Amino acid sequence: MTDAVTTVPQVPPIVEEPVSEVGQLSQWTLIRMRFARNKLAMTGLIGLVIMYILVFLGPFFAPNDYTYQNSDYIFGGPSEFTFIGPNGRFGLRPYMYPMTTQLDQAAFKFVFVVDKTKKMPVKFFTKGDPYTLLGFIHSDVHLFGVDKPQRVYLMGADSIGRDMFARTLMGGQISMTVGLIGVAFSIILGAVLGTMSGYFMGIADDIIQRIIEVISSFPTIPLWAALAAALPPVSESFTALDRYFLITVVLSFVGWTGLARQLRAKVMAYRSADFCQAALAAGSSDAHIIFTHMMPNAASHIIVTSALAIPGMILGETALSFLGLGILPPMVSWGALLRDAQQVSVIVQHPWIMVPGVGVIITVLLFSFMGDGLRDAIDPYSI
Amino acid sequence: MGSYILRRLGYMAITMVIVTILGYIIIELPPGSYVESEIARLRQQGGNLAPEQIQSLYKRYGLDQPEYIRFWKWISGFVRGDFGQSFAYNLEVSQMIWSRLALTLVFSLLSLIFSWTLAIILGVYSATHRYTIPDYLITVLQFIGLAVPNFLLALVLMVFAQDVLKMEVGGLFSSAYVNAPWSIGKVLDLLNHMWIPIIVIGASGTAWLSRVMRANLLDVLNMQYVQTARAKGLHENVVIWKHAFRNAIHPLIMVLGGSLPGLISGETIVSLVLNLPTTGPLYVNALLQKDMYLAGAFLVFLALALLIGNLGADILLAWVDPRIRYE
Amino acid sequence: MSVPMGSQTKIEEGIILRINNLHTYFYTDIGISRALNGVSLDIPAGKVMGVVGESGCGKSVTALSCMRLLPKSAKIMQGDITLYRPIKKEQGTSRIVDEIKLTDLDPMSLEIRNIRGAELAMIFQEPMTSLNPSYTVGDQISEAIILHQEVGAEEAKERTIRILTQVGMANPTAIFRRYPHELSGGMRQRAMIAMALSCTPDVLFADEPTTALDVTTEAQILDLMRDLQAAMGMTIVFITHNLGVVAQMCDYVAVMYLGRIVEQAGVEDIFYNSKHPYTSALLNSIPHVGSRIKERLQAIRGVVPDPYSSIQGCPFHPRCDRAIPGICNVRVPAITQISEGHTVRCFLYSEKAEENNAS
Repeated sequence: MTDAVTTVPQVPPIVEEPVSEVGQLSQWTLIRMRFARNKLAMTGLIGLVIMYILVFLGPFFAPNDYTYQNSDYIFGGPSEFTFIGPNGRFGLRPYMYPMTTQLDQAAFKFVFVVDKTKKMPVKFFTKGDPYTLLGFIHSDVHLFGVDKPQRVYLMGADSIGRDMFARTLMGGQISMTVGLIGVAFSIILGAVLGTMSGYFMGIADDIIQRIIEVISSFPTIPLWAALAAALPPVSESFTALDRYFLITVVLSFVGWTGLARQLRAKVMAYRSADFCQAALAAGSSDAHIIFTHMMPNAASHIIVTSALAIPGMILGETALSFLGLGILPPMVSWGALLRDAQQVSVIVQHPWIMVPGVGVIITVLLFSFMGDGLRDAIDPYSI
Repeated sequence: MGSYILRRLGYMAITMVIVTILGYIIIELPPGSYVESEIARLRQQGGNLAPEQIQSLYKRYGLDQPEYIRFWKWISGFVRGDFGQSFAYNLEVSQMIWSRLALTLVFSLLSLIFSWTLAIILGVYSATHRYTIPDYLITVLQFIGLAVPNFLLALVLMVFAQDVLKMEVGGLFSSAYVNAPWSIGKVLDLLNHMWIPIIVIGASGTAWLSRVMRANLLDVLNMQYVQTARAKGLHENVVIWKHAFRNAIHPLIMVLGGSLPGLISGETIVSLVLNLPTTGPLYVNALLQKDMYLAGAFLVFLALALLIGNLGADILLAWVDPRIRYE
Repeated sequence: MSVPMGSQTKIEEGIILRINNLHTYFYTDIGISRALNGVSLDIPAGKVMGVVGESGCGKSVTALSCMRLLPKSAKIMQGDITLYRPIKKEQGTSRIVDEIKLTDLDPMSLEIRNIRGAELAMIFQEPMTSLNPSYTVGDQISEAIILHQEVGAEEAKERTIRILTQVGMANPTAIFRRYPHELSGGMRQRAMIAMALSCTPDVLFADEPTTALDVTTEAQILDLMRDLQAAMGMTIVFITHNLGVVAQMCDYVAVMYLGRIVEQAGVEDIFYNSKHPYTSALLNSIPHVGSRIKERLQAIRGVVPDPYSSIQGCPFHPRCDRAIPGICNVRVPAITQISEGHTVRCFLYSEKAEENNAS
């Protein structure tokens, strides 16, 4: 083998790739990007936005007022539609078949019969029952409807003839906000107590841990039920709105323990971490360390835990109201609406009475997707 | 191991004391006691309780005495087996709760076994068969299981059973068997009525548990000792079930204790819908009628059941994971 | 069993495991990583062969490929691995050899499972996580014995205690009942070695067994391995990035870079007569006693490239001070024989390029 080593001209260096943008972006931008890539999470987010718009603009979207009782339409079924106009041609405008009641001679009760001879055009932006939106917008324009005296019942009517669609949308206002407020209370309680517990340790930790243990020893729904039963009945001095807030307090009374436990673990881990020791050595006060160093690190964790806790709160309120211990009439929530659906016989004959349940399922699913997506975006290494 | 159990029992005793205090506070929460409102109601209607009756009621519950005396009367009653009297039913509380409590525990236990078995199977399967179609299906089922409120699921299943399977639903027995003597038919009928509650109570637990199981097993499968086991020449099934699973189960047992409240909670609502003679319906009715002694006794007993369950879970964890024993 | 001419030669040459042009690729979401890109290695029986290289060069993947322990995302695309098993017959001196192509076996099959543990064994880097924390040490070792040697629990326990004594455990009967977390790092690694050797395998793959240990313990473990190897006549494939350990332990050395073996020789030749620029650079980067205090460490220029990228030509050329433009950056060098047992892949010593110029 010949020695082929001679003075070799300098080999041109590897072409450097342009410096990646990723290193320059802030943590929050990175989180947002990861979240946006997750299709399921985005579905959750967009779905929730749509749901919130629907329920808060409910009176506009629903063709009927949610308290209007139509004695002609007790337990009436969903209206039937067709796209074939009176001239027999297929078009874009939907037409509704009106329902009439007839006496069934054999069973001797009233049944609903769809009158297929008449086609009522569904009109958009019609005038209907008056309502108040968001407390200050007065209007009587509804997204769609038919000429009086007929009414559109997208999802049937309940035992006294009220529109299930309208009631479900209105119920959503309560059900979808109780969770948010309850979680907010839980965060405050849980974050404060959990951080204190983990940071100061010692006796404070022992006491708080025992409290958490005791609360966790009670089965959740019975505990909520007992606390809710303690609330005074609705009266002049204690309005339905007051009751609503106290229900959220009750819900968060149990909910804060989970966050407190997790935060405590995190804070205890951070406490012995180097950056904390350094801050202590530099003379920072405890409060400063907690708020400036630990909270930001824990912030993302708090966000994720809260998002994942909301479904639990919604299910909790639904359960309580279903039992008759939560939101009481005339206020409506999905759970309260489902009280009408306690008998199997009723459900079998009028399945549309369960529509509020669908609202619960969809909302919880959407929150779960979003919460999972948030967790993956914030901490991609956890499962 | 023995000292570990003793320590946990000690903690449990302390917690139990605090639980009873909290339970008592809850009982006393509703404004106005039942006794007073009952007396007021009777007076309104024109009737009246005989003075001796009022006196004995007052004495029994110590309504004329300070709080802590009343609490002490209540607690000491526990030891004697006297839990007070149910106002609404005019019966001793102790008469009413035992059979119902037992049934609640039976259902909870059966649900626990069912949901755990199903969760383990689903979790292990989806962890070892990632990215396959059954895995995605299981994920979908899990999400749905978590989102559907269990009473809703109970209603849906009941409708299904009645409409499609043509079964008589609700209660523990069909009307034909309620008062009949025990026989094979009656046992079968009982089983027929039990499957809905067991599935429903365990449903959300199963969904969540199987996700945890899947996540844990995935973690463990990445561990070096799994590779070591394979390098020894063991069959893949042995590697998964003997080596990986054994370690993946720890976090599950840790949350076993935490899943018990959900079981009893779920049972409360579901039994209302399904008309089961367990604590649920009685407890809720008691609350609605402000029958606080009945409700309070139930609450405290349920909490005690949970504490014992947690203790059992902790002992199980120590037995399964040798590292815990030395803490 | 038939005796192909080739295998007779192999066993006479003393080769127990032959890896031939092995290509192992990993298929991931990000792309294809060519972990092994044409690895050919002859492992001599009864000796210690060291495999050195930087992280990510494919040393572990080579061992895992032999044991067929690769993850599902990896595939052996090309090449084969052959295990030669000497079968001594009582009569006569002719040594019949059974050869088995490990690459032909299904990774889940009974055949390969019979080989794993009994003929090929492997120990891993982290003794902390290599043992199952839920079972006692004795249990885990006995498990292997019961599996391969078909004895009962009692007999397995005897053998376990024997092998624990052999690896230098002070109180083997007590250790039998201990859990891994009750042992120190050094003891755990001894336990791992005991487990691997419990069925007297022919080849032991040691994947950085002492990297996680402190130097004192490391020295003890290395001594132990050397003694056991001599006593059992076992072949060891010692994977490491520590050239000091190589000097101490190995008879032969293979230097790997980016999925290929760039130089292979006896240990003396590697240290005193290295030919490949990478090997020389590695040796130069070791700080040595007696160097002047202000002298800078000689790191190898550049960084290990992204395994998902492909480099045209010799994989080392971007970092090589002696690369020949027009040749090194275009074609892949073929394996050239320098002397008996010493091969290199470098255009400095050969004009020949590798046939499949896969880059």
